[in-house]
Amino acid sequence: MNSGKHKSPKSVKVQMADNFRKKQIAESSPKGVTAVRENSLFPLSILSLFTFFALSWLWAGWWMGDTLRIAYERSFFAADATLMHWLWQQSFGSLWILGRALLTLYHWPVVGGLLVASLLTAGSLLFGYCLRLPKRWRWIQYLPAGAWMIWVSWSGLDLFFMHEPGRILGIPLLAVLVCLMDAVIIWSFKRRRPASSSPTPNASRDGVRAGLFGLLVVVLLFLLPCLLLNQRHPYLRPLMRMQVQLLHDDYAGMSATAHENASLSYRPLAAYYAVALTRQGTIAEQLFDVRLEYDSICVHDYDGDPDLGGNYYLIDCDYHSGLIRPAMHRAVEELTMDGPSLFTLKYLAKMSLIENDWALARKYFHILHQAPFEGEFLAKYEPMLDRPDLVQADPEFAGVLKAAPIQDSFESFYEKPCFLGYHAVTSSGRTMEALTLSVMANLYSKRMPDFLMRCQPFVGTTPPRSIAEGLITQTQKHPEILQAFPQLQMDAQRFRGFIQVAQNYMQDRPRGAEVLFNQFCGYYPYYYFFGNLRATRKSGDSEKEHSKAGVN
Amino acid sequence: MRCNYTFLKCQASKLERYIIHYTFAIASTMALLACSSRPSAIPATFTELTDSATVYPDYRDVTIPPNIAPLNFMVTDASASEFVAEVGGIVCGANKDGKFDIDTIAWRQLLAGSKGKDVRVNVYAHRENGWVQQPAFSFHVAAEDIDGYLSYRLIEPGYELYRQIGLYQRNLTNFTQTTIYENNRTFDGGKNHCVNCHNYQNYDTERMLFHVRAAHGGTVVTHGSKAHKIAIKHDSILAAGVYPSWHPTLPLVAFSTNKTGQVFHLLHPEKIEVLDTESDLILYDADRNEVKNVLRTTDFLETFPCWTPDGRRLFYCSARVPQYDAPTLDVGLTTRYDSLLYDIYSMSFDPETRSFGEPRLEVDASSKGMSCSVPRISPDGRYLLYTLGQYGQFHIWHKTADLWVKTLNDDSLDVSEENCYPLSAANSSDADSYHTWSSNGRWIVFSSRRDDGNFTRPYIAYFDQTGQAHRPFMLPQRDPEYNLLLLKSYNVPELTRSAVRVSIEELNHVVRHTEAELATFQGPAPEPLSGKGEASGQ
Repeated sequence: MNSGKHKSPKSVKVQMADNFRKKQIAESSPKGVTAVRENSLFPLSILSLFTFFALSWLWAGWWMGDTLRIAYERSFFAADATLMHWLWQQSFGSLWILGRALLTLYHWPVVGGLLVASLLTAGSLLFGYCLRLPKRWRWIQYLPAGAWMIWVSWSGLDLFFMHEPGRILGIPLLAVLVCLMDAVIIWSFKRRRPASSSPTPNASRDGVRAGLFGLLVVVLLFLLPCLLLNQRHPYLRPLMRMQVQLLHDDYAGMSATAHENASLSYRPLAAYYAVALTRQGTIAEQLFDVRLEYDSICVHDYDGDPDLGGNYYLIDCDYHSGLIRPAMHRAVEELTMDGPSLFTLKYLAKMSLIENDWALARKYFHILHQAPFEGEFLAKYEPMLDRPDLVQADPEFAGVLKAAPIQDSFESFYEKPCFLGYHAVTSSGRTMEALTLSVMANLYSKRMPDFLMRCQPFVGTTPPRSIAEGLITQTQKHPEILQAFPQLQMDAQRFRGFIQVAQNYMQDRPRGAEVLFNQFCGYYPYYYFFGNLRATRKSGDSEKEHSKAGVN
Repeated sequence: MRCNYTFLKCQASKLERYIIHYTFAIASTMALLACSSRPSAIPATFTELTDSATVYPDYRDVTIPPNIAPLNFMVTDASASEFVAEVGGIVCGANKDGKFDIDTIAWRQLLAGSKGKDVRVNVYAHRENGWVQQPAFSFHVAAEDIDGYLSYRLIEPGYELYRQIGLYQRNLTNFTQTTIYENNRTFDGGKNHCVNCHNYQNYDTERMLFHVRAAHGGTVVTHGSKAHKIAIKHDSILAAGVYPSWHPTLPLVAFSTNKTGQVFHLLHPEKIEVLDTESDLILYDADRNEVKNVLRTTDFLETFPCWTPDGRRLFYCSARVPQYDAPTLDVGLTTRYDSLLYDIYSMSFDPETRSFGEPRLEVDASSKGMSCSVPRISPDGRYLLYTLGQYGQFHIWHKTADLWVKTLNDDSLDVSEENCYPLSAANSSDADSYHTWSSNGRWIVFSSRRDDGNFTRPYIAYFDQTGQAHRPFMLPQRDPEYNLLLLKSYNVPELTRSAVRVSIEELNHVVRHTEAELATFQGPAPEPLSGKGEASGQ
């Protein structure tokens, strides 16, 4: 019997030599190196992947969640050839339709974000597989996703305003499909794993380094678009937040968002802030609480030329200030230029209800029925068909109707934009709310004679804060104001203090606007002398010329 | 670089085609599956209902031509799971959506055998408790055909902007719609243009024209399969030609030339006012490419010319410019928009000398505080069909606009009300306008906003021997829901006997790649007249 316990010295020697040789082979073979590196890279590459997925979700669901939610509202998708025909017949129309279909998941930004994260992660994996990347270069697979995020951040409102919203998710979808096809072809013809690079003595350490670098790239890939967005479109996230809040009738939330971003000065923010205040009935108290200087926003028209972006918020503003027809006008123009969107269709449906135009409202509801996930809107508004009593009882509609004009005229007789121009020139309204809007429009436009003329109904009352401050501003020229509003004596002291401070900056108002902002923001005299300078710069100091200025 | 780009585009379009093909394949399979589940037999037992079901489009009690496409319709009944309809013996089924797609061959046989008769339609709905029968309805099949083709422009019922618009032609005997011309599917600001006012010579497509505005501007005139673009522009002419009317036999087109603007109401039931601040009439010779003034006035606004079928009279609308108290004409007319009242006049025309006679009042609407527009003479010359509204001439945006008829007698100077009457059976409570006759005079097609007050749809009405219109029906579509979902309006429906001969490629070339040839102004420049106007060329 020959047992292992009784090996000859020679055989032991041979076995040791074999083991040594095997170990040498194992250490020197590529497979061995791969195994070692895989072991060291495995947790890091998986960590990178999970980090990428989690950050994608966070970015697409939270950071960009409101933006893509509004993009969904400005888009429209229905599984109906008639409704999608206009898009279908355009170049890449079918792809944009698919992109719009995916965008519908942004009805719930968390779900939409999950979809985007899945798309980006799957796309990155497939891209890496298709390029046959060595593991140390694996971080490259995340670059296309990063490029897309940078494009999204770079575009801002251009993502969907006057541009095709189907591109947002259509492009990554196409990329994933192309990578998937490529990967299937590669997988079909070449099942073996790609050869690794030649081994190096420090392979393990290199692998860890590569893994850490990949992780760093992933984190940077998310920081970069975030920084870019904040730098290029600082107004975008607060603006989108306010619009989402408007969708939920959260006017207090809109005001809060505006106050949190009071130092930002962009027209759309100011416009939605005014909408919130109008709905809350506090416009005469808080309108000037935010900076109203108006930096340019980065928006481009259909041809890619810079645009002021005024049409972005005019439908909302016209509607909430009671100008149903001008709002309908603009909604139809938008529908003509951009095709139907949930935003325009919902507005058109609501405005048709307000106008008691039941047949037209029925048509828009019928179309909205074709869109997925709009049941809540339909459940709220469709029962109002043929029911003027329900229309009148709706708080939003009632608020809109309060400010509506009581005499017919033509849009073209008012200053642009109509929502402000109308209220600036109107001198009669069905309610005090309508008059207040008119007074505030004149205060905002610095049309002081028109403002004073409309203050007559406030005599004998305690006027709202901004109106009182507006009156104070005029006491130097019209001392009789203090006789009509004796309670303003208290405020006159503050005004005199303000004038003393402001005097130093009258020759350099832009600087004064900056220096005095924190101290006097919300105080109408500050706005009167230092606010909205860009719009009124050419006008000098004369009130008459101020009134001609194209503010807002 | 150019090659690469082309290659990429090519690849992209291939990919797109693949996507489209697969989508279609899936959709077709689904459609087949859906069709297969439709009921196909009349239920043996059912309960009769007394309440009428909602049928769209509403084909109840209408009169239809025997060569029209199947009147596919949909029934709304939320409690029903499936439907069966019996249309004059043709049995067809529908799913829960209630859409009936009538077999075309069976339909043609049915209409061929039903000329001059009524066709009865029975609809059965399958509810939870079994089958029910909706109250039956019927339609009448006339003996006379309608012309085979209807052309129209599809455009959003918009205000100022336009993007994708086109002229299309529908074969009325089936559901085929072909494109005559489209501007641009993908927006291009530099090349964006509007097309409008298509018009044919005497129901024939040998000669037609349409205007192109903005980029590539001009008037495209076709002759057979060839087209060219002209520009009508001269110091002596107010503006380019607008509303056209081909002379029935000569190569002449009478145009109105208008300076038009539009304003938007804040409250008024009519949403939009389209106003002419100035308008005249001109005559264009298509063979000689010459143009001359017909009527040039300052105190009157002339528009909507229309030749009589014999080509010896020209009808048109004319309004006196109202007095206004405003700094400018534009503002003045806008403030007095409801004082613009148009009457219908006519002038004799001598084809030999190509000169016009004195204007003659045909319909005096203004004295009754009303206004006329769009005069159209029946092919037999017996009837003048026009729109009557409360004011203005752009009645397609006026809810009060209705179709009226005046019986014409030779050399009659009678403008009394007895000869004028509304086509009550065809009219609705909303705008009805832009009407056209069929070449046999038995059918009229017009645009109506009766569906929803906003989107115009073409309606077809039978016009009988006694001069009365019958209840009209909406242009049938393969998918009966089509017009509920379509967000465009049908503009200016025009009937023709044949399909348009010029190809879309030729029109694309002419519009986009050729310069408009300037029409020669013929004759002395007449001074603007302050009176009612004198015809030129006398």
